[in-house]
Amino acid sequence: MKMLEFIPSCLLVVLLGVLVRRRVYAALPCFFGYAAFAVGADLARFAVHNYRHSYFLTYWITEAGYDILGVVVMHEVLHTVLGGLTRARWVRLIFPFLLITSIGLSVARAQATPPKVGGLLFYIVIGEITVRFLQVLIFAGLVTLVPVLGLRWRQYPFGVATGFGLYATVMLLTTVKFSDFGTRFKLLWGWTSVVTYSVAVLIWIWFFSVPQKALAPSSELSAPSPGDLKQYKDALRRMR
Amino acid sequence: MVVIIFTWVIVAWGALSCIYMLRCAWSRFPKRDVDVDDVIPFLYPVDLSLAESLLDPAAEFEFRWKLSPRQFREAQRKRMRLYLELTRRMAHNSRVLVEYADAEKQSADLRRANLASALQDKAIEVRLYALLAGIKLRIWLLLRSDILKPVLSQLRTAGDIDGLETYHALKTAATAAFVQLPPDEFDSLSRNL
Repeated sequence: MKMLEFIPSCLLVVLLGVLVRRRVYAALPCFFGYAAFAVGADLARFAVHNYRHSYFLTYWITEAGYDILGVVVMHEVLHTVLGGLTRARWVRLIFPFLLITSIGLSVARAQATPPKVGGLLFYIVIGEITVRFLQVLIFAGLVTLVPVLGLRWRQYPFGVATGFGLYATVMLLTTVKFSDFGTRFKLLWGWTSVVTYSVAVLIWIWFFSVPQKALAPSSELSAPSPGDLKQYKDALRRMR
Repeated sequence: MVVIIFTWVIVAWGALSCIYMLRCAWSRFPKRDVDVDDVIPFLYPVDLSLAESLLDPAAEFEFRWKLSPRQFREAQRKRMRLYLELTRRMAHNSRVLVEYADAEKQSADLRRANLASALQDKAIEVRLYALLAGIKLRIWLLLRSDILKPVLSQLRTAGDIDGLETYHALKTAATAAFVQLPPDEFDSLSRNL
């Protein structure tokens, strides 16, 4: 188990390298920040893993960081995909609606099966479950749009959503189902979490391994020739 | 109990989405070579003047004024079915154009790629409008129209998208993208779109 825990960290370093190579920090700065934070958090946890109190503090502080970044990244993904589709005002309401729904579900779950931690840690756990709900809802919603609107699935925001969506789906499933296993739950949860997160990071590496064609702004294109313009004018006249 | 059901529904939706993405990755779907021969014969003509008349509030008011309530309900259902067919055609045409633009965006020619991107953006917007307007129309048709009292002219915009204006913009984007076509092929395109 100890060796297995390092696999996601190694994969995250590879992912960070791929993100730098593809200059993703310009297109998806929050996701780039998330990946950099994840590498930093793993390093910090490793550095203090022999000191019980420090590890406890580092673990929960980084978990809170993951919660906040999880929400920010999903906002970035949704904004990038939907912002390019339409300028309709109601689109801006989708994210707050999904966030409130996720918070509501998470709080309701905590009422039914309260987490075994108290104080600030309770809120961090609630935040974590909220982020999982949010990730699944955004991922599943975006994937539904692929066949409905004919969107291209192999684009960076969909890659980010797929990685998070897979991880969050499995983690929600384990949280709901594996709790039936009683004392064995903790070990199973740990294994599942590490393996699924590794798969999620592999998905990100796969998506970002292919360069995404950036279209040149129209100002960078040469002006159409007078012949082209005349042809275009004639075509428009015939079309109307 | 409700929370558990919601959680399971969300987990199942997430799992199905994972399977769909896996299928996309496995089959590289929907990547296929689409050229202009895969566009023109596949388009369904959309009569925009008919759509304009169906969405005209004055025409609707005239119907309401002239016909008895029962006759008006019948006429309104017919008009709704007709507009539903037009939105279906709009959605179909934009789907064809999205696929074409997707392939065209891979072009090394930056101008062609940019025109394809503009065409795709407009086509997706039309699909979004057709989807929202279609849902509204189906609900109106499913429930008795005397309960909801549907006003067809309200369907000019759905989800803040002006349907006819967006479809005109799609036609303009298609004009720019297909401007190099021979005149006879271009005329078939303008007839079919």
